[in-house]
Amino acid sequence: MVQTRRDFLKRTAALSAASYLGMLLPFNSAGEALAADDTVWHRGSCRLCGTGCRLELGVKNGLPTALRGVPESRTNMGFLCMKGMLFWKVMNHTDRLTTPLYRAKKSDKFKKISWDEAMNIAADKFAGAVKEHGPNSVAYYGSGQALTEETYFFQKIFRGGLQTNNVEGNPRLCMASATAGYMTSFGADEPIGGYADIEKADCIFIIGSNMAEAHPVIFRRVMRRKLDNPKVTVINADPRISLTSRIADIHLQFNPGTDLALLNALAYVIIDEKLHNEQFIKDYVAFKKGKEESCDFEEYKKSLADYTPEKAATIMGGKVTADQIREVARKFATSKGTLSMWTMGLNQRKQGVWANNLIHNLHILTGQLLKEGADSLSLTGQPNACGGVREAGGLCHILPGHRPIEKEPLRNQVEEAWGVPKGRIPAEPGLHTMAMFTAVNEGKIKAMWINCTSPVQSLPNCDLYNKGMAKDDTFIVCTDIFPTKTTELAANLVLPTAFHFEKTGVYGCTERRSQITRKAINPPKGARPEVEIIRDWAALLAKKLNDPVITQCIKPFEGLEPEYALPKAIWDEYSQKLTKGRDNDLSGAPYEVLEGMFDGVQWPAPTAEYAKTGGTVKKFVRGMDPLAEKLKTDDKPYQFYGAAHPDHKLWVWLRPQANPAEMPDADYPFYLSTGRIIDHWHTMSITGRIPELLRANPYAYIEINPKDATRLGIKPGDMVEITSRRGTNIMPAKVYEGPIEGMVFAYWHDQHPDRMINKVTIDAIDPGSKQPEFKICACKIKKVSGPQALKPYIT
Amino acid sequence: MVIAGFVVQCQPQSQQDTVAALEAIGQVEVFGADEKGNIVTVVDAESSADLEKIVKRMEKLEQVLTVGLTYLNMEDEAEKIALGELSPDPFPRKPLKKATMTT
Repeated sequence: MVQTRRDFLKRTAALSAASYLGMLLPFNSAGEALAADDTVWHRGSCRLCGTGCRLELGVKNGLPTALRGVPESRTNMGFLCMKGMLFWKVMNHTDRLTTPLYRAKKSDKFKKISWDEAMNIAADKFAGAVKEHGPNSVAYYGSGQALTEETYFFQKIFRGGLQTNNVEGNPRLCMASATAGYMTSFGADEPIGGYADIEKADCIFIIGSNMAEAHPVIFRRVMRRKLDNPKVTVINADPRISLTSRIADIHLQFNPGTDLALLNALAYVIIDEKLHNEQFIKDYVAFKKGKEESCDFEEYKKSLADYTPEKAATIMGGKVTADQIREVARKFATSKGTLSMWTMGLNQRKQGVWANNLIHNLHILTGQLLKEGADSLSLTGQPNACGGVREAGGLCHILPGHRPIEKEPLRNQVEEAWGVPKGRIPAEPGLHTMAMFTAVNEGKIKAMWINCTSPVQSLPNCDLYNKGMAKDDTFIVCTDIFPTKTTELAANLVLPTAFHFEKTGVYGCTERRSQITRKAINPPKGARPEVEIIRDWAALLAKKLNDPVITQCIKPFEGLEPEYALPKAIWDEYSQKLTKGRDNDLSGAPYEVLEGMFDGVQWPAPTAEYAKTGGTVKKFVRGMDPLAEKLKTDDKPYQFYGAAHPDHKLWVWLRPQANPAEMPDADYPFYLSTGRIIDHWHTMSITGRIPELLRANPYAYIEINPKDATRLGIKPGDMVEITSRRGTNIMPAKVYEGPIEGMVFAYWHDQHPDRMINKVTIDAIDPGSKQPEFKICACKIKKVSGPQALKPYIT
Repeated sequence: MVIAGFVVQCQPQSQQDTVAALEAIGQVEVFGADEKGNIVTVVDAESSADLEKIVKRMEKLEQVLTVGLTYLNMEDEAEKIALGELSPDPFPRKPLKKATMTT
């Protein structure tokens, strides 16, 4: 029988799926190979969430023609979600930016200009600002979607070249509280374990995360664990019942912002019922009231007296019972392994760091850490918030290799690695994100580079900050692949860039894992990889500022072709010179090693031989983490070498329940929360251009509890006005038992001016992490009309 | 032509019903299933849009827990997009938003 190409592809598809299950089919890949196929497969990572799914892009005649998962990958085991399945449609999209665009004034129309003209303008504006107003009049605002090489190179030019620490990125909006939580509880950033704990956990505690939509492949792993082992307990704690809740054995639904009381109440029960691990506490734990103030176990215990299950249940709004809290505490403490996972529900809060500390407290008290199936795991939202921004110097207060900027010896290490004079990097941290955009409002930032992100839509209380960005006081360069609300409103100069798989570089996902994606296809003619743009711009800056130190910053990269040699040289400098000897040691993972791995390397990985095993699955465990052996201070099995805790202990923090910045009141009686929907990514400049994803969710809507809807006369589909003290949206109502009574929930991807929910959200920040409280503010709602036909909208 | 391979997950006890329900959807072919409720499924769709509709139907089946993609071939569609015969743009008349530009 003649096998058609269609048959061949169907059999290939079936074999692919069967291989994940170890299932034999009545035909095999050897037989299929007889069919001619000239597809070339290029391995890389998905870029549409923080999971780090590995996939291969099939390329034929220079076109992306197929996708398949990588079954050997320890992140996704080969599975992909709908977003991951369709990202290839971006590659030849008619909306792609392919020519630099310029306008002197933001009220002008853009005109197309050459790359030479564009680079000269960018260099002139930044050099001019530095000459006239000083180094801190310029700023970089980057992204957790930029490659590590891009973030690293940008911050090198800004810090070492232009002498400013005004280096920030959108991860400040999503994971800064997780960073501060890890630093203050464990002494070092990023999780101890990783996804491998999912398949070993007997109790999975999901709080402040709708992973079914935001991290669908991780959710799949959790579901598989539960299905294979029905005795595994899944607990979901959230003010909103979401798709994630459907696999939960217990759902704790509470008023927004009262989870600090819940976490303290769990600790209360654990101690009251003597479920804590006394020996673990004795060996490894210190108790803290404040930065410089210690206390003891008894004082900590006393501090929990206000959080009996009964009191906490009352604080939480009355839907959770005291008995449920006791049951959850018992399961958490006594399971063979308890794994907690959370995202923005804890992080995007005025008390975000405290919330992170309190969940770490539970793991520390019970010893549910450092062993199989036990971890306190913050899921990252973006593909390279960890690897690029947290690790490679993408925030205003940290240098590459987790080096706090205020430490002179650490600054000197970086200066030495770069070959720039000592003292070149300023000692003071730069402006954090909200302070940076406040400075834009005040006209203090004269030139700003925004890379791969759209703050006009993604900042909280965005109308306030958009006023500043729209003014001509700040010259703004945007590097991106598509027009965005930011290019539309704020940019003077738009530079078209290469997309994922159109360039080479590394992403570091949630679990300390760095993975390379090599260039597989050409970008549209006219679009360039960022690393080339940065190098060329810096060369011009050096001339215009007559500064040989800027030339020194790009010297190692001169003349290298930008598709592979240039990013490789940047990665080599970063990994070999600036991670070596640090806790995120990736010196054993040059490109050659990363390219040989299905799924990359988990740091610390100080040698190539070790990196090739996959790296460190559990930090701090002797026998599993090479640094735990190297830096040990005694013979105990766990060694907490994190630089932020000189006592080498884990710290349990006394943190009381504290309200959000804005509570509902008579004028604004509802809580408003926001989040992602499965089909869209952030500000939907990518996913809104993929017809299948746009159709699935063409616009945002507001979820309202049926009791509230009935009280207010709101029916499904009615147009509802949502107003806070900052702004107003109008969007259709979805009436269902999702949000707790008294709370409404909106998706944040929609670009339409009527439905951009960040006009309504609050810009209050956590005092420690400086992360805004997107997740909670007060609002009022009212029906403005019956259902209306809406059109999807994109800039 | 868009061909996609999936592992569809269901409760083990509903495996037979799920296979029947999947096969009742046109363009869906089941190649095998295991005792854990994993079903090897292939969709032969006319286009990405068609595939999307079929996947949504699969996801909405009462017994189905997850639909996990493992393989996708879209070579015909990619070629048409590259040749300009098909637009991936949901707003096909839009280039002209760029009409705000002058050259």
